[in-house]
Amino acid sequence: MTALAVSRPRRSSRGALATRLRIVAGVAVSVIFLFPIYWMILTSFKDQVDIFTTPPKFLFTPTLAAYAEYMQRADIVKRLINTVIVATGAGLLSIVVGTMAGYALARIRLRGAATFGLLILLSRGVPPIALAVPMFLVARKLGVIDKHITLILAYSTFLIPYVMWLMRSFFMALPRELEESAMIDGCSRYGAFFKIIVPISLPGLLSTLIFSMILAWEELLFALVLTSRHASTIPVAIAGIAGDTVNGANWAALTAVGTITVIPVVVFALLVQKWLIKGLAEGATKG
Amino acid sequence: MGTVQIRDVRKSFGTFEVLHGVSIDIEDGEFVALVGPSGCGKSTLLRMIAGLEDITAGEIVIGDRVVNDVAPKDRDIAMVFQNYALYPHKNVRDNMGFALRQRRVSKREITERVEEAARILGLEPLLDRKPRQLSGGQRQRVAMGRAIVRNPNVFLFDEPLSNLDAKLRVQMRSEIKELHQRLKTTTIYVTHDQIEAMTLADRVVVMNGGVIEQVGAPLDLYDRPASLFVAAFIGSPPMNFFEGDFVDPTTFALADGTRLKLPVPDPKGRRHGTIGVRPEHFTLEQSGWPATVSVVEPTGSETQITARLAGRSIRVLIRGRTATRPGEAIHLGVEPELIHFFDAAPVPALAEMEDVA
Ligand SMILES: Nc1ncnc2c1ncn2[C@@H]1O[C@H](COP(=O)(O)OP(=O)(O)OP(=O)(O)O)[C@@H](O)[C@H]1O
Ligand SMILES: [Mg+2]
Repeated sequence: MTALAVSRPRRSSRGALATRLRIVAGVAVSVIFLFPIYWMILTSFKDQVDIFTTPPKFLFTPTLAAYAEYMQRADIVKRLINTVIVATGAGLLSIVVGTMAGYALARIRLRGAATFGLLILLSRGVPPIALAVPMFLVARKLGVIDKHITLILAYSTFLIPYVMWLMRSFFMALPRELEESAMIDGCSRYGAFFKIIVPISLPGLLSTLIFSMILAWEELLFALVLTSRHASTIPVAIAGIAGDTVNGANWAALTAVGTITVIPVVVFALLVQKWLIKGLAEGATKG
Repeated sequence: MGTVQIRDVRKSFGTFEVLHGVSIDIEDGEFVALVGPSGCGKSTLLRMIAGLEDITAGEIVIGDRVVNDVAPKDRDIAMVFQNYALYPHKNVRDNMGFALRQRRVSKREITERVEEAARILGLEPLLDRKPRQLSGGQRQRVAMGRAIVRNPNVFLFDEPLSNLDAKLRVQMRSEIKELHQRLKTTTIYVTHDQIEAMTLADRVVVMNGGVIEQVGAPLDLYDRPASLFVAAFIGSPPMNFFEGDFVDPTTFALADGTRLKLPVPDPKGRRHGTIGVRPEHFTLEQSGWPATVSVVEPTGSETQITARLAGRSIRVLIRGRTATRPGEAIHLGVEPELIHFFDAAPVPALAEMEDVA
């Protein structure tokens, strides 16, 4: 009895210490990862003089000069619009195709379905650089270089397998009887999928959609190879500014464009987190 | 018309046949229970009736239609699953009304029918709740409600009560029976609980290993089991079995040489066989089969005695009370019409039987 009474508080205080250590470690890691982003955003509001002061200034008069300058250059606005079009297009296309494929893999008993699914997954193992050049050649032959649709299709090649596998495991966690019940209640398989499975999976679907859009948003290689002016995206612009050897790196421009690129990603990531937590709390998989 | 005919139905998954030719005729309004040990193919058969599994061979007829190629939604059936399969994103009202909405029934009629079903099942206060806000018993009721608003030709139940605790299970059992007496809808009810099957059904179909062992009214199965399997499966506590040789028509010799006097000869005149006596059909006599009491368990209304006879454990159930003590020698008698004769065969493992009962 006494031993228990003594050991208990000691154990809980050790637990509390462990929790505190974990929090400290978490904060430290976050600082290490977030500091470059913080530094980028800070720099984007400095003028040229402040940027090059040593030691670096944390307090300065903020200026929107870099933003004003670069937003006025039409190609940044246009590239932003391109990026939105391509990320949205690729995200939507992949979520529709990938979700339906994932559902089929999760539910329909078909010989070779597992092998087929694995093959699609394996295709993700091919390094993108190995695909970029052939894609460029094909696109040129078809005369679709520098078009939104080309980039959307190119992105779908890696987004569809991604969506498919995520949604497949999501659907496998749902009891089969849900669709069966709907099919007895008067739905076709399509009806059961769209009226029951899709609404239940909405949190997972939205999260996957957002993740896919983020992946498309920040993709550089295909964008660099497959577009030049008309359909070019923001990451290409950043690469251009950073690699500008004629005028030297324009830090203000780089950080301003970088900040513009990062903001939607952060917003999206926060949305995903909210939906994911909501989905989990609702116990979407509970029969 | 809610008749169902199952004609020599077979089912294979790949090359593995799980139903080896099953035929049952179910009349309109009948309550039929499919019962059998785990893996015997009950659910598979029910799902074939529902249209959720293809029929490998044979025919299923509902009403006057062969439904082999009819989609589940066009079979005019309703099914209650073991896990209820309530739509988690719809409230109780919409769960119950979903099938009617699919059928384009008018809004007003849906409301009426859902409310009527809710009233029958005592679900009125819960209509606006989501499934996750309901207890297990309430979910079960909603699943039933979803089936009855449809007013289908046939109800299919797949172990609807096995997720409930024992007390609720008994209560829901009588509610299902009451519901059937009121609606008189043809019902096919899968369970592995023989008591559920016996108490609910007009007719019980005992399945084993993908074939039907016996079909009959509950008490027929109890009184006249057609096989050792049915004898072992139906009845609780289970029947006692003894394998041995008929030395003469009324003397039965067990393996260890013990001789049991039989009140009647085996009608089939076997040389070697298995005899069976239900625990409740033994009586304590001055002379008869000799046994030694090992455990006495009184419950007030009856007393269960575990005894040893020829080195094996047997069970005896005595009405009322008895002064018998452990270690005491007793003699067991059995009425002529209460002894069963079977071909010698391995008795289905009791552990499994009890596990599923
Ligand atoms: N989709 C499937 N693929 C392959 N085999 C299956 C499939 N579904 C069922 N089986 C097999 O068919 C046999 C019968 O299964 P079924 O589910 O009908 O049994 P059951 O009598 O309902 O058992 P339980 O009481 O455990 O529910 C089992 O051997 C099972 O392994
Ligand atoms: Mg089953």
